[in-house]
Amino acid sequence: MLVLTLGAIAFAVFQPVQVLPRIRLGPGYALIDQDGARLTSEDGRGVITLVSFASLDCGTTCDDVAETMREVRERVDADVDLGGTDFRLLTFVLDPSPAPERVAAARTAAGADWEWAAGTEAQIENVVGLGFRRSTASIDTRPGYAIVDGWGVIRGEYQYQTLADDADKLVRHIDILGSELRNDSGFGSFVYGAAHAFQCYP
Amino acid sequence: MTTLTDSPTDSAPDPADAPRPRRWPRRLLAIGLVLVALALGGWLGLRWLAPYPYSGTVMQAPTEAPPMDGLVLSDGTPVDVDAFRGKLLLVYFGYTYCPDVCPTTLSQVAAARRQLGSQADDVQLLMISIDPERDSLDMIGRYVESFDPSFLAATGPIEDVERVASQYGIYFAKGEPLGDGYAMDHTATLMGIDTNGHLRIVWPAQLDVDRLAADLNHLL
Repeated sequence: MLVLTLGAIAFAVFQPVQVLPRIRLGPGYALIDQDGARLTSEDGRGVITLVSFASLDCGTTCDDVAETMREVRERVDADVDLGGTDFRLLTFVLDPSPAPERVAAARTAAGADWEWAAGTEAQIENVVGLGFRRSTASIDTRPGYAIVDGWGVIRGEYQYQTLADDADKLVRHIDILGSELRNDSGFGSFVYGAAHAFQCYP
Repeated sequence: MTTLTDSPTDSAPDPADAPRPRRWPRRLLAIGLVLVALALGGWLGLRWLAPYPYSGTVMQAPTEAPPMDGLVLSDGTPVDVDAFRGKLLLVYFGYTYCPDVCPTTLSQVAAARRQLGSQADDVQLLMISIDPERDSLDMIGRYVESFDPSFLAATGPIEDVERVASQYGIYFAKGEPLGDGYAMDHTATLMGIDTNGHLRIVWPAQLDVDRLAADLNHLL
């Protein structure tokens, strides 16, 4: 018993296995994408999603965020083993009820090839304001990212810092999530359960 | 005169030459007992230390359950999530015209609740109708009671239902035509709010009644 207790303490202190916290449920939504098609939270079921936020006229800030998203995707595709789980990017548009053509134009201008989701003011307030607990005002005031796992649980929330720092941290955290996905079975589920219980967070 | 050679001591065999008593069986027994004690201690320790393997996804951070402002129970009472503190509140978003997953889930929750025996009274299911256009308060009340008399149901204006559902990670929208009406596409997960009012666990749509009952028992 003593050995096990010491082992538990050592596990909590040295954190041989790290996990991302299950912060809270991400929001459910049924929005419209840049082509006018329905885009729902169920589309992210079983997929790891890196989320960002954009105003249609925010300019260089959104360009930087989009560049970081691209870099993260390239590095995740090249270097991170997600155990067969898909990885996708998603940007929520903060402008209320924009025409899909405007969303498509802003998306193209930012060099983004992933889905941009838009909705009414109430929908964006529900998703971005209440769900991701972020300001729904211009992205220039509070840009950032979130990682949502395949269960729809928010596993990471990030404020915009610098391009290099953001990409490094996001890739590292997605790698941690990938390790959990690959190993969370059998004895591994016990280890990862312990890592969550002991809050072995990066 | 007694000589040294006559002494009984001298005539007895040298103890060093005497055959040693066999101690190995005792040692083996002692080692065995120690190993059994270690194994028992380890097993008890693991049971003590090991996290309980819930069949749903558990939130680490103690997040207050989102409020349900604007929704009313089937008897017309406004829904107050805090009023359920002290009970394990299970929240499900469905609708009475639901052809498959809603009745299945409600039946499974009712079955799991029955397995809890006397503790069943500490578990409260609340279904939120995502189809207030067709589901009247009276309809949703009778609908959930047909699965378990203790079950409660609530709904409200669509914008309130949308806001509440979104905060519980639920998406819904009108789907394909079904009979004379339509089906509702929706997330079919079941949420558990613990006795302290924290949104603690999310179960997938495909429930296992026995495991759900075990989870509920553990959460209580």
